[in-house]
Amino acid sequence: MQRAARARKYRLQGAGLDLALPYLMLAPGLTIVLGVLVYPLWDGLRASTRAYRYGSPVADVGFQNYVHLWSDGQFLNSLWVTVKFVALSVSFEAVLGFALALFCLREFQGIRLLRTVLIIPMVITPVVVAIVFRLIYASDAGMLTALSEAMGGGEAQILGNPLNAFIGLVVLDVWEWTPLMFLILLAGLQSLPHEPFEAARVDGAGAWRVFADLTFPMMRPVLAVAIVLRTIDAFGTFDQVFVLTRGGPGEATRLVSIYGYDTAFKFQQTGYAAALFVTIGLVVLALAFSAIRLLRRVDAS
Amino acid sequence: MMHSSRLTRRSVIKGGLGLALATTALTTLGLPMPARAAGKKVIIGAFADGGLTPFKQKIIPLAKEQGFDIEFLEDEYGVTLEKWFADAQSGAGQYDLYLLDDPWVPQFGAANVLEDLGAGGIDGTDKDWIGSMIDMGYWPPQKGPRVKGFEDAKPTLICVPFVGDLQTLTYRNDVFTDGAPKTWDDVIAKGKEGVAAGKIKYPVVFRGVSGNPIVTSWYPVFLSFGGSFFDDKWNPIFNSAEGKASADFFVGTMKQNAPSGVVEFDSDQEGAAILGGDAGAIIQYSGNALKADDPAQTKVAGKLDFGVVPKQQSAIAQMGIFIAGVPKSAPNKANSIEFLKWYVSAETQAKLSEAGSIPVKRSAFGIAKPGNRLIPVALQQLDAGALPRPRTPDWAKVEELLGIELNKALQAGSGGGAALDTAAKQVKDYLTTAGYY
Repeated sequence: MQRAARARKYRLQGAGLDLALPYLMLAPGLTIVLGVLVYPLWDGLRASTRAYRYGSPVADVGFQNYVHLWSDGQFLNSLWVTVKFVALSVSFEAVLGFALALFCLREFQGIRLLRTVLIIPMVITPVVVAIVFRLIYASDAGMLTALSEAMGGGEAQILGNPLNAFIGLVVLDVWEWTPLMFLILLAGLQSLPHEPFEAARVDGAGAWRVFADLTFPMMRPVLAVAIVLRTIDAFGTFDQVFVLTRGGPGEATRLVSIYGYDTAFKFQQTGYAAALFVTIGLVVLALAFSAIRLLRRVDAS
Repeated sequence: MMHSSRLTRRSVIKGGLGLALATTALTTLGLPMPARAAGKKVIIGAFADGGLTPFKQKIIPLAKEQGFDIEFLEDEYGVTLEKWFADAQSGAGQYDLYLLDDPWVPQFGAANVLEDLGAGGIDGTDKDWIGSMIDMGYWPPQKGPRVKGFEDAKPTLICVPFVGDLQTLTYRNDVFTDGAPKTWDDVIAKGKEGVAAGKIKYPVVFRGVSGNPIVTSWYPVFLSFGGSFFDDKWNPIFNSAEGKASADFFVGTMKQNAPSGVVEFDSDQEGAAILGGDAGAIIQYSGNALKADDPAQTKVAGKLDFGVVPKQQSAIAQMGIFIAGVPKSAPNKANSIEFLKWYVSAETQAKLSEAGSIPVKRSAFGIAKPGNRLIPVALQQLDAGALPRPRTPDWAKVEELLGIELNKALQAGSGGGAALDTAAKQVKDYLTTAGYY
């Protein structure tokens, strides 16, 4: 009897363990996800419905922070600057990245070195990139000014002029992030099947025809993924602007990330800043979904 | 015997748990213990500024002799406010002492995150304090308007002046040969002569970056034109006729007589322009002024003199003192307060003055050999007039709004008065939302 009872107990324990084991295995990962993703997200959403004074919540205000955003001239301006910045930067990066990827697809002597060199900007810390560009753009001691003066011109006014500062920021971003586009698109190009291209060559198709009828259509999904990824990333650009212009001159380069940072940490309007970032998150999410839906529709057609 | 060596789920889980516990215990026990402090530990947070150089070089070693173990942590000015405020509010306890810029005191005071230093034994009523400086350590302020919620609160000493920094004029004595220019018109007229003579490239230089830098440069011009910032009810009145005249002068005449890239200039570029010999005059704090006699840091050593700021109506400068506060979360609170008591004593302040820094006690201005020519001029400026910025916890936002509009006008080279109108409306709207009225 005793032996039978012990055996049953062991079996029960074994069965219980079978049942619990998957949950036990999941528990550490789940705890981390809850702690670093779900809780902060929930806390941010809760903060976005509160008014803060001197860094502490003082009242629940419902969706008032969200409503106020759309009458806040500074927010609307920073949103517009961000949209322009993202559209310009990502467009240039996509075109340049694609061109470089097509060029580097060919095998010739030194190609491996060239591919490595091309991705260097991407691996440099953004703050360092911004400092380097500050040294290039500075009107008093910058490289462009030295170049301009050597050619008989005056000081190069980049960071003190709204349009030039904005273009300067786009140039920095294109320099730094084109390599990411290049890398994704090169991987995509290398994974394309060879047969259609060989058939096209046999049929006597020219380079442009091959690109327009084969390469580009086949690369469209990869290109879309690269553009969506880069767009999401570009919306969050912060370090470079913080170091290079702090959003100036005036508000010419003040992206939403900078405005949100100032609002939250400098001006202690935590609730309003949370509403701002939730809104931007939703905008980016909507953009990503739209891009994916568009891609599916194109594929289906 | 076979089953005893079998790998079962139970044994894997047991083993895993045991291993995890053992690793945790070993790691915890094996962590290197922080070295025993050589004295009474005080962790000081400061923003990088030349005005603190004498303190770092001469006073920290003295403090060590007194048994303090000073850890001095520096950050860039633009990130310290938010970093320290987050530290204080979250109770992270990363610092024992913040060396704040004085306009930040109200924000920390309103959030109630700093220790009551009066209760800690620091005497705010000591007659040796420079009155206008110790006043800045109280929240709510002892004088002037108070923001809502603090009308009836008892003023508490939450900060003590640390370095008595304020704006003074630095000028080229080979350009302004009759001594410090008395008015802004003199600055421009004599400066132009200096440019024509090939001695300098620009009569003046200042900071044009939006936000704190441009407001800091415009403020003494504004004060000298007779402007006032807020009335007693916190209504912005900086767009008065005097204010507008100062803004028009600043973005017009001053820009025309400054380096062409002044819109993007911050303290490093303006410092380079005056110390590099390009500019004729500048209103500045002590950070760059202290370098004026050091040939290793300036190309025009011996050619830079100091004076009271020029006037249009009056010669009033902006105060911008370093002011020390002890966070409630400070890990070595008692040490910090003891350190402050020692630091603000008349004896240590005299040493600070000898080291070349602007003291915060009047007696230290009177020592036989102050360590820098700037110190007696700072006292002259204090006596001529020096005002702090308005004591509101929302100054950072006000400064931002005003700074953006001034910067836009500076880019255009005109429209200073209109910029003040726009900024005044924005400030009023913001303060209305913040419940000021």
